[in-house]
Amino acid sequence: MPAFAKSPWVIHYDASSCNGCDIETLACLTPLYDAERLGVVNTGNPKHADIFLVTGAVNAQSGDVIRNIYHQLPEPKVVVAVGACAASGGIFRECYNIHGGVDTVVPVDVYVGGCAARPEAIIDGIVRAVQILEVKHKATQAAARGIDKLVYEPALAGDIPEILALQKVTYRSEAEIYGDDSLPAMQQTLAEIEADLAQWTFLKASINGKIVGSIRGRIEGATGYIRRCIVHPYFRGRGIARRLITEMERSFPPQVVRFETLTGHKSRRNLAMCEKLGYRVFKTEEYLPTVQWVHLQKERK
Amino acid sequence: MLVLEIAMGLYIVVLGIRHRRPLVVLLLLVQLLPMVGWELRHGEGLQAHGDLLADRLSALMALINGVVGGSICLYALGYMREYHTAHHPEVRDRRPLFFSLLFFFLAAMFGIVFSNNLLWLYFFWEVTTLCSFVLIAYKQDEESIGNAFRALTYNLIGGAAFAGAIIWVHRATGSIGLTDLIHAAPALVIGPALLLSLAGITKSAQLPFSRWLLGAMVAPTPVSALLHSSTMVKAGVYLVLRMAPILHGTAGGIVVALVGASSFALASLAAVGTSDAKKVLAYSTVANLGLIILCGGIGTHEAVWAGVLLILFHAVAKCLLFLCVGVVEHRLHSRDIERMSGLVLSMPRLSIMLQIGIAGMFLAPFGMLIGKWAVLKAVIDTYPIIALPIIFGSAPTLFFWMKWMGKLLEVTHPIPNIEHEIGRGEWFALTLLSCTTALTCIAFPLVSAWLVEPYVIGVYGRSGHLAHGNFVIMTIMLAMVALFPLSFFNYGRRVKVLDPYLGGANVESGARYQGAVGQVHALQMSNYTLAGLVPEAGVFRVGIGVGLALLAALAACLLLLR
Amino acid sequence: MNPLLRFAIYLILAPLIGGLLAGIDRKLSARLQARQGPPLWQPFYDVRKLWNKENIVVRRSQDFYVFFFLILMVFTGGLFFAGSDLLLVVFALTLAAIFLVLGAYKASSPYSFIGAERELLQMMAYEPMILVTAVGMYLATGSFYVNDIAAHSGVLALRLPGVLLGFLFCLLIKFRKSPFDLSSSHHAHQELVRGILTEFSGSTLAMIEVAHWFENVLLLGWVYLFFAASPAAGIAAALGAFLLVIVVDNACARLTWPTMLKGAWATTLVLGFGNILFLTYF
Repeated sequence: MPAFAKSPWVIHYDASSCNGCDIETLACLTPLYDAERLGVVNTGNPKHADIFLVTGAVNAQSGDVIRNIYHQLPEPKVVVAVGACAASGGIFRECYNIHGGVDTVVPVDVYVGGCAARPEAIIDGIVRAVQILEVKHKATQAAARGIDKLVYEPALAGDIPEILALQKVTYRSEAEIYGDDSLPAMQQTLAEIEADLAQWTFLKASINGKIVGSIRGRIEGATGYIRRCIVHPYFRGRGIARRLITEMERSFPPQVVRFETLTGHKSRRNLAMCEKLGYRVFKTEEYLPTVQWVHLQKERK
Repeated sequence: MLVLEIAMGLYIVVLGIRHRRPLVVLLLLVQLLPMVGWELRHGEGLQAHGDLLADRLSALMALINGVVGGSICLYALGYMREYHTAHHPEVRDRRPLFFSLLFFFLAAMFGIVFSNNLLWLYFFWEVTTLCSFVLIAYKQDEESIGNAFRALTYNLIGGAAFAGAIIWVHRATGSIGLTDLIHAAPALVIGPALLLSLAGITKSAQLPFSRWLLGAMVAPTPVSALLHSSTMVKAGVYLVLRMAPILHGTAGGIVVALVGASSFALASLAAVGTSDAKKVLAYSTVANLGLIILCGGIGTHEAVWAGVLLILFHAVAKCLLFLCVGVVEHRLHSRDIERMSGLVLSMPRLSIMLQIGIAGMFLAPFGMLIGKWAVLKAVIDTYPIIALPIIFGSAPTLFFWMKWMGKLLEVTHPIPNIEHEIGRGEWFALTLLSCTTALTCIAFPLVSAWLVEPYVIGVYGRSGHLAHGNFVIMTIMLAMVALFPLSFFNYGRRVKVLDPYLGGANVESGARYQGAVGQVHALQMSNYTLAGLVPEAGVFRVGIGVGLALLAALAACLLLLR
Repeated sequence: MNPLLRFAIYLILAPLIGGLLAGIDRKLSARLQARQGPPLWQPFYDVRKLWNKENIVVRRSQDFYVFFFLILMVFTGGLFFAGSDLLLVVFALTLAAIFLVLGAYKASSPYSFIGAERELLQMMAYEPMILVTAVGMYLATGSFYVNDIAAHSGVLALRLPGVLLGFLFCLLIKFRKSPFDLSSSHHAHQELVRGILTEFSGSTLAMIEVAHWFENVLLLGWVYLFFAASPAAGIAAALGAFLLVIVVDNACARLTWPTMLKGAWATTLVLGFGNILFLTYF
């Protein structure tokens, strides 16, 4: 039996505009419509919710909030845009402060029409969202089960935003180790990382098209520099990082006889892994007040 | 002996005159003059059967003095160096005096626990009072001198009661031995026993005398740890527990029990209202000593068993807490509990030690809780009504300890680790005490069987103990709690780490949020103090009122006995 | 019956009964509000779904506290149904609750922080009454052991009416029901987002849910104990208490914590201790 169909928990956010859809959404919970008979609970907390229900058009202020809430919804999650404004900006579309529909900020899975949307339509939207939840859940499960189906291949320009998002998730654990949120990897912008693409080769590890790990490398003379080996926390401890490093080494042309990499002095797991792969420490240097770089090198066998 | 006593008395008189404290002089003269006159009159007639007393209870007390006192002295070495160089350069460096007094005090404590001759006991008792006075005034500023005199005054009241008790015992039994007193017919010696309990109550800072202990927190932390939590104040409860067989079943005993019980409930409630770590510890000390006094007042074998156990557990855990707070105070330049947020990152090992100490103070299945449990059972079997303050006192205990523990765990933003600044002596003492705290909890049945039960059986012919089944269950719980650190092996698997939910107003990275008009605020959290419902000062005032009423009741008991 | 056997039966039946009770709760609440309400098995659906969700945390270690909360809650119920010492049950229950509070503190979110503080206030409110209940049962039967109390020939409720009423008052707090759902509230209600539970998600939230099922069964078992002399009356009383809690939940608005604290302590003092005094001296 499907796990998600019977218990869709909703978080509801009103981005702006006339509040009509907002009120209609709450009307779904009244005795007349009683969405709870389908197991719907209005949680008010993204971390408990499965479905993100947004009403109203997105303006400068609500855009950030929508993005924040969206990121705090645990996977699998579905976004439902309720009403004309949420779909496109509606009658507010041309206003000076309006960005447009919800899909200008986060990916939307279900659109519910109407101005204001009828409660019946909203409930119908939730039912459709539940089906999408199931599909997404199966995809994640397949990814988790298909860990042996990992594909290691060069990353393309289109993958860069996803890699940047992954980098920010990944480096959070490092920031915790050093007690420093200002690590450059956490601060990097899309423009900067796209500029990196000119000098660095990117490799990615993906399962069913979802990127779970990445690494970048650059050649200078006879030395191959390997940097930013990142693996999604969910997939750590399964040898992906090690495989990425070996793949990177292999991708360097034969004239490269020496590989160099670096990590922070407190990242014990990284250090241990590099040593296992044959890397040896050859120098350390001051980098940030909180972080010292440990440089490691290895000769090609 | 007499000469020393007179010399000490004169010193206090001089101090009292110099600082214009007529009350101190008066209290001293009230006890010194009759004592001297009486001793001169009787001369060699004052005899006890054996001047020394060494049983399991003395042994236990001596063990506490030795282990806890020793580690505190070690800790004090580093602490006092830092105290003068880094934190209080304005205070005149009198470390030689400080340490000599510390050791002098420890010697006196050993004297107290091993004396059988009441005159000796009285002498050592007054020595600890004097040491406490000088050490509290160590800073030599107005506040500390004022508090030191308050401590002296209150303790001299106890001293006067003690002196009265000795004369009374001698008149009633013709001996001045502690054992003779205990073994005499209870009806004959209930008066002096009550006076000695009164002395114990002042020494243990029970209501209405608690104010001196709170004031004593101005002293350097090792002093608070040694004198005002683990040893000197224990001398008071030690004496009351010794009196337990006499107090059992008497009206006076009930009054003593009520003093302890009300101290427990009200001091616990008052502790909720403050966020000063040392003050919380002081209130909790008063509360727990109250529990022990309550045991003495009830005086059944179960109660005494629980009381002795409580002495042990409390001494170890509380001392650990004091020492930890001392270290934290030096690092953070504050002893406000609210400032301890993120301690688990800045001083991880220390925060674990603090948590061990706190858990030892109130959590099942650790030591203090076993004691509290036994007290509750003992009380219900004798005077169920006294269960009221215990039950209402343990709820706030839970609250103030837990909110402290929570503050230690909570982390809002990354903090660098500053633990390496802590000296080696401090580490050694802290580690030793943490291990002792853990060990006393684990080896609790052994401690009970070797030290506590033989003593209680020696006095009553039978002893309280934990039923076998319950003991097994406690062990299982202990094992479960001990397993807790193991869970960290699975640290961080299969979870996604995100910022807390802040109404969707999170700002990129870290616990900050965007408020009105686009301003970015850092997250800040602080504990409830329930100031509206149970204001600290108000509760304390009620406590003093209750204490005075009970004191009047005690006086009435004494007058009726005359 | 062998205590171990009873423990095993409890281990299997408690989550089933607890989950079913939660389902009845939601159905009944819906009917009281003139709604159809979710299916009876809804709590099980919810838990299964949560188990399949991603787990989001603020601090990694926060989940372990919850894990221990569940374990200790199961253990506490086990102690009770195996016939152990009531005071020990109370202490174990406190220990379990403390682990949840610590987890919420660890999560370092403003909502879970206030939730944790309020949970502590709730514990402070109900703890005295629960202890008084244990003491009252001891005074009435002469034993702290659940076994002996259950085997007592008289109906305890007749000798401890005040204690029973006070205990019912505490049930409102323990079940997290209005008017005392301060630290976190049930189903669709929102108080401080979800208060103490705000930062737990996925399987961790499922664990908390299951722990509450165990807890509820334990508490209703305790109500049964008041009528243990006649099992039918005992079961009826337990169900009655459960219904009462639901009706009160739907009929009341949330009160503030000072009201809760004063109310609970006054109840303990007047009903609980009044009853005990009566028992001791008359």
